[in-house]
Amino acid sequence: MSKAEESTVGKEHRLAETEIPRNFIVTRLDDLVNWARRNSLWPMPFGTACCAIEMMAAAASKYDIARYGMERMGYTPRQADVMIVAGRVSYKMAPVMRRIWDQMPQPKWCISMGACASTGGVFDTYTMAQGIDTIVPVDVYVPGCPPRPEGLLYALLMIREKIKGESVIDPRAREERPEAAGKPHLSPEDVELIAEPFGNSTIQNKISGLESSSPILRPGDRKE
Amino acid sequence: MSLSTISGERDMNAVEQPDIKDLRSRFGDAIRSVEVDAAGEAVVNIDPDRNLEILAHLRDSCGFDMLKDVTGLDYGGGRPIQVVYQLWSTKESKPLRVKAELPLDRPRIDSVYRIWRGCNWLEREAYDMFGVKFEGHPDLRRMLMPENYEEGYPLRKDFPLRGRFTRAEQTRRALARDLEDIYSMQELSVAEAGRARAGVGDDEPGLGTQNMILNIGPQHPATHGVLRIVVELDGEKIIKCTPHIGYLHSGFEKLGEYRTWNQNIPLTDRMEYLAPMMYNIGWALAVEKLLGIDVTPRCKVIRVICSELNRILSHLIWVGTTAIDIGAFTPFLYTFQERERIYNLHEAYVGARMTTSVSRVGGMLADVPRGWLDGVREFVETFPKTLYETDRLLTQNSIWIGRTQGVGVMGPDDAVNNGLCGPNLRASGVAYDVRKDKPYLDYETYDFDVPVGEYGDTYDRYLVRMEEMRQSIAILEQALERVPEGPINVDDPRVILPPKSEVMGSIDGMISHFKLVMEGLKVPAGEVWYSIESSKGELGLYLVADGGPKPVRCRYRTPSFMNMSNLPALVEGELLADVIAVNASIDIVLGEIDR
Repeated sequence: MSKAEESTVGKEHRLAETEIPRNFIVTRLDDLVNWARRNSLWPMPFGTACCAIEMMAAAASKYDIARYGMERMGYTPRQADVMIVAGRVSYKMAPVMRRIWDQMPQPKWCISMGACASTGGVFDTYTMAQGIDTIVPVDVYVPGCPPRPEGLLYALLMIREKIKGESVIDPRAREERPEAAGKPHLSPEDVELIAEPFGNSTIQNKISGLESSSPILRPGDRKE
Repeated sequence: MSLSTISGERDMNAVEQPDIKDLRSRFGDAIRSVEVDAAGEAVVNIDPDRNLEILAHLRDSCGFDMLKDVTGLDYGGGRPIQVVYQLWSTKESKPLRVKAELPLDRPRIDSVYRIWRGCNWLEREAYDMFGVKFEGHPDLRRMLMPENYEEGYPLRKDFPLRGRFTRAEQTRRALARDLEDIYSMQELSVAEAGRARAGVGDDEPGLGTQNMILNIGPQHPATHGVLRIVVELDGEKIIKCTPHIGYLHSGFEKLGEYRTWNQNIPLTDRMEYLAPMMYNIGWALAVEKLLGIDVTPRCKVIRVICSELNRILSHLIWVGTTAIDIGAFTPFLYTFQERERIYNLHEAYVGARMTTSVSRVGGMLADVPRGWLDGVREFVETFPKTLYETDRLLTQNSIWIGRTQGVGVMGPDDAVNNGLCGPNLRASGVAYDVRKDKPYLDYETYDFDVPVGEYGDTYDRYLVRMEEMRQSIAILEQALERVPEGPINVDDPRVILPPKSEVMGSIDGMISHFKLVMEGLKVPAGEVWYSIESSKGELGLYLVADGGPKPVRCRYRTPSFMNMSNLPALVEGELLADVIAVNASIDIVLGEIDR
């Protein structure tokens, strides 16, 4: 374990580490697993439109997503654990996105980048899905049209924060649900509610069961 | 709306040109009427049953060798659907628009595929959006919408903006689509044909071989977005290539009919997000043409600066991503570094990095901030160094040459007939550039060259774009020299908000402010087909107004759409790896292909 991670371990553990000879550490399994998970997030870039260009800018030299050591953009969903949906998703593209999400192994997270992915944005038309959360569960929404690269980086940091609070014995984090594959994520009533003006902001609180408007979600906040 | 409303008080010279007189005498009653549009161009209304005959005559005898656009136009209220052909003569540099009216209950017309191959995708789109049946078209299927789309024809006036079904039903139907089913409808038949050719399934096992169908996309890093390409392979050789588009179809043209003229400008950003300012400016220019207003000299020069900066912006991402596709990563980092500098200029001017919405009808959103022109000047002085470095990395690079030279070749005649446009057309040896052939924004007063390729291959397309960046720098230098003082917006209360002092101090100012804010600017009835040279090629805007605050039809004839339709012709017979190189080299952006 690197020096930088010691702070997450309790003080007594650190004491123990100095007394007991090297190559040995006492910690909680959750801490260890979450440390590994959050430092090896492999994004699956699902870029469709304008936001994808900002995602590329985040990967280029000025913003440099590699600074977190997880720039390995896995273009195969089977070797990725955070899907970044950057851009608008049409109904024609929706089944493709749902299949890619189904192909990703658990545990997995999803970032909805930009106004169109989060709510449909300005495209309240016959062809556009009104928010990808009708199709797949979303962990972090990034506002903006398009969000700046810093916004995307912050979303990744929020995913890391979220992982810190997860527990390996929580079955929801590992559960594969093949019966839900290819199905809409929301019920028809909720999809209709979202399509109403300002429906999205009310529904998002309802779905995530959020009491507060705190930016950091707890693991129990996500409804699969 | 009948055609007679589009002529109004305008100059009727276009009607008197010899071609039109000749048409009248040759075809008699088949030429129903001739009008002049807002730009002073002739519009010929023809008998739909004789369209092939008349259009073939126009190409062969009158020199209209380029078909720029085929689209539909529906005024609603049960009036006939119009099919609009926009022609262009590369030799004489003149346009002509031909229209045919079809009854709403039985919209059919002969396909012009025999005359211009470039009509292939345009007619398919018109079928998809308006339900016009083009008889004799080789492959008339749904294009932007899914193949089993059941809600109707979206651009007809009786189709609601949000579709006929509820959102829940649309979502359910979208996800219920069996991917294997819709993916393989056409390709399976291709495979079967291949099997039949090879004799597989005959009694004798023999040495029958089978072509392989390979699906690339719609979620694939080398397709530059959500494009899907299906190729039939014999070994590594491509027998057939079928691009499938529409995965990013957003309904810009439908949405535009529900937004006021100025509200459409933010939409144009989202269509071409690699060079957004250029599309903002193109839209504003087209509407100004409809209104018959001329912007101020300062505005013209600022618009030229914005356009050329964005041409560089777009070509830079082209070099970067094409190099990645072909296997070189370094140019991507170099070019994105320069892109960030242009983004900084965007931010200083409009506050956004990418979605700029910089123009307004009659001017710009504001005058440029103090010091901004110095920032552009600094960029113009320092950028050629990076360009030189990128050039040194690629132009003489033997891997680059090996992957690009002689790959994806198209000759000049084919290129014109197939509707290739922009740098790709020029790489094929046709010196057609809207900035030279039909100048706007006083481009004729700038001294710049139009680079033309010799072989029409991928390497030429690369060289043309590199040279265009140098020419853009030259134009920027001249523009920076001549930025005049003065107002940026026209002094016209019909289109531009009056200054705050007038709104507060005079009743006239308050009334015009109120009307502009509450109703939006009114555009007199008429239509225009306006084109600008965007970084990808010729962007054509076909706008129809009925005097109200919103367009009746806003048609974007986007350059990537035309270039993409030529991908099969470019790659068939090449190797599989060349699909990636050629697809990258024609410089597509899916936002404007699918719209």
